[in-house]
Amino acid sequence: MVQNISNARCSLMLAMLLWTSLFTLLSGCVSSRIEQTRHADTGISPDEVAVLLGRASYNDKQTEASFTDCVADVMSQEPNPIRLITQAEFQDRMYPWFEPRTAPSSVAELGQIFAQPGVKERIEEAKIRYLAWIDGDTITIKSGGSMSCTISTFGAGCLGVSYWEEDASYEASIWDIQTMTETGQISAEATGTSYLAGLVIPIPILARPGNVTCKQLANQIKDFIIGDQ
Amino acid sequence: MVAQPRVLIVMLLSMIVLALLPGCTTSVVVKGRVPTPLVHKIPARVAVHYPEAFKNYQYKEVIKGAGTWDINLGAQNLAFFRNLIQAMFTQVEEVAEPSLTADEMQRLDGILVPEIVKFGFLVPEISGLKFYSVSIEYQIVMYNSLGEKTGEWNIVGYGKSEGGVFAADDALSKATALAIRDGGARLAIGLADQPGVQVWLNNRDE
Repeated sequence: MVQNISNARCSLMLAMLLWTSLFTLLSGCVSSRIEQTRHADTGISPDEVAVLLGRASYNDKQTEASFTDCVADVMSQEPNPIRLITQAEFQDRMYPWFEPRTAPSSVAELGQIFAQPGVKERIEEAKIRYLAWIDGDTITIKSGGSMSCTISTFGAGCLGVSYWEEDASYEASIWDIQTMTETGQISAEATGTSYLAGLVIPIPILARPGNVTCKQLANQIKDFIIGDQ
Repeated sequence: MVAQPRVLIVMLLSMIVLALLPGCTTSVVVKGRVPTPLVHKIPARVAVHYPEAFKNYQYKEVIKGAGTWDINLGAQNLAFFRNLIQAMFTQVEEVAEPSLTADEMQRLDGILVPEIVKFGFLVPEISGLKFYSVSIEYQIVMYNSLGEKTGEWNIVGYGKSEGGVFAADDALSKATALAIRDGGARLAIGLADQPGVQVWLNNRDE
C-alpha cells in the first residue's frame, strides 16, 4: 500500500516535471522580423539629442507609453548610448504643438509648426537633432484551450492548458530636424504564444513579443541614427 | 469553472481589489503637469470668470460591474486654464463675477467664462480595451466690453491612459489630465480663429 502511494507520487512528480520542462522549452518561442529603409545619411554629435514620440489616436489603438519608455531605456544604454529627451518633457516644452491631435504627421507640417513663436528656438536650445515617431501596438490575435480551477474543503487546484498568441508590430519614422527631412523608417514585428498550464498550481509560460520588438527596434534606431560615424 | 486564463486572472485580481476598496469606490484626485502654450498672444485685455462649478468640478458615477467612481478634477482644471489663458492674451485678470460695472469694463475688451458642460469616461471592464479614456466638453462664452454675448464655443478634450487593475485611480487621473490638456490645446490653437472672436476683436478696434 505504502509502495503504491509512493509510486503514485513519483509518477505525479515526473508528470509535473515533464509538463514544466515542455512549457519552459516553449517559453522562448517568439519569432521576429525587422526591416529598415534609409533615405538619407545620418549621424549625431555628443551634444545633440533625440526625442522618441509615440503616435496616439483616439480610436481603439495607440502606441503604449510603456513601449516607448522601453525603447528609450534601451537606446540610453551602453554601447553607444544616445541622449534622449523624454516625451513628456518635449511635449511640455512644445505645448500645444506635439499633442495627439496637433502633432505633425509629416516633415512638411513640422515646417509649419516651426513658424509658431518660440518653437524653433526651443528646439535649438535643447539641441534636438532627431525626432523618432513610433507607431504600432501589441494585440492578441488568437487564444484557446481551457483550464478549470476548483476550490473545496480538501484543497484547491487547477487542471488544463490555455494559450494566447500576441502580435507586436511597430514602425519608427526618423526625422532629421537639421535638414528637415525624413531620413528613414524601421519596422519591427514579433509574434509569440504564451501558455498557462494548470498542474495543481497554474504555471504561466509567457512569451513577450512586445519586449523582443522593443529591444530590436531600439537597437536598430540607435544604429540608424549613429550611421557610419 | 472553465474560463480563459486572462479572464481568470482579471477576475481574481478584480475580486481582491474590490475586497480591498472601502465601499467599492475609486476616488481619483486628478494631478498633472501645467505647460505654458507657445502661441501668438491675442492682442486684447480680458477678464476671466471661473464659475464655482468649474473651480470645484467633481464627477461621480456608479458603473454596473465596475463600482463607484469619484473623480475630482477641479484643482488641476483650474490651474491649467489659469496658466493657459494667461499665455493667450496680452492682458488677463481674474474676476469673481461675470457682470462688471461700466467703469470696470473700461479697462477691458471683454470677458471669458469657461465651463465644463459634459464629462465622460470609460474603464477597460466596460470598453474591452486596455485603456482608460476620458472626454471633457468645455464651453467658452465670450462677452464684449458692453457685456453682450459675442460668441460661445464648445470644445472637447480627449485623454487615454494604460492602466492595470491595481492602478485604476492613477490611470484615470492621467487620462483626465490628458483630456484637460487636449481641450487646452484646442483652445490655444483655435480660439483666435473663431468667427465670434474675430468679429469681437474687429469691433473693438473701431
